[in-house]
Amino acid sequence: MLRFLVLFVLLQAALFGAELTPWAQEVLVVPWTNTLARLSAWLVTLFDPGVVATGKVLRSSANGFAVSIEAGCNGVEATIVLLAAMLAFPAPWKNRLIGLAAGVVAVQALNVVRVISLFYLGQWNLAVFEFAHLYVWQALIMLDVLVVWLIWVRTLPRADDGGGRGPPPAAATASA
Amino acid sequence: MPPGRPVARFIARIFAWLPLAFTVWYFAAPLLLWPVRLAVEVVAQLGFADIVRAIEQHGSDVTFVTSLRPGEARAAGGTVTVDVNLLVYSFGLPLYAALVLAVGERGWPQRLAWGFLALIPFIAWGVLADFLKNVAIASGPLVASQTGFVAWQREVIAFAYQFGALVLPTAVPAIAWVALHRDFLERLRVAR
Repeated sequence: MLRFLVLFVLLQAALFGAELTPWAQEVLVVPWTNTLARLSAWLVTLFDPGVVATGKVLRSSANGFAVSIEAGCNGVEATIVLLAAMLAFPAPWKNRLIGLAAGVVAVQALNVVRVISLFYLGQWNLAVFEFAHLYVWQALIMLDVLVVWLIWVRTLPRADDGGGRGPPPAAATASA
Repeated sequence: MPPGRPVARFIARIFAWLPLAFTVWYFAAPLLLWPVRLAVEVVAQLGFADIVRAIEQHGSDVTFVTSLRPGEARAAGGTVTVDVNLLVYSFGLPLYAALVLAVGERGWPQRLAWGFLALIPFIAWGVLADFLKNVAIASGPLVASQTGFVAWQREVIAFAYQFGALVLPTAVPAIAWVALHRDFLERLRVAR
């Protein structure tokens, strides 16, 4: 566990440092953020045609209210935490790759829900928007990462599956 | 661990506790986050005594009273103050509390206390980095030049601020919870 935690923290710091480089911002983060805004706008226009996306900004043409998707709101940091957690935990590479693919989809899907919900919360009440934006959604996204990781860990092969890992059978019997 | 969908039941318990945890955290923040202010004050006095004259807490905000002169009023004798909202860096506390209470094992008060203690330095990191970012980077050259930070130090401050704002507030509660609930995690892992 100690090895996992240390590796997790180091990987997080390294990946986050890499994310902040101009190259990563230009090639990955900014295009992804713009895509997220367009995807959110497309989903919203299915039931609300008065919404447009310009770059990373989602705007209501009805009342002019707009949200700008900034660092911390594009799900990149949450994805980095998930990536670090799955790379740091001992697991076969096949399980890691499947877990990462499914996990990134799960995290980004909830992030789209966050962006859209904040867009409408802001039009309804700015105080509620601030509370949800700064505190609640941040915690919920991290909870999403934790739950994805827990589910992924449960899918990993165990000693009693013949996978050569996991707790001794006695521990499993006692706690199941 | 009772049989049947253990992760789903665990998630349901987390969501049952989250509203209460957020409510307590929000309204008790001035008291709960007093140790954070203390930690920030100690570090500021040890490392930045030439810049920080005093740190005051007003509810869930802290105000850094500096010895820096504002650019536009150097002759007038005013000094720069920086307000930082403690809640922005401490929303992981209610998440951590909900996770601990959702597990509901014996010894949960101790786990709450240990986690709280573990989170304090990281919340303080975010608050201090926010202050340093404000005076060394965001305040403009007239104020920033008085801090004495050189280019590489400003880069470190920028990274510390981003890491302290975007990663630590969410990741550290999860790390603390995993570290303090290894037995539960093992049971959750093998439960069918």
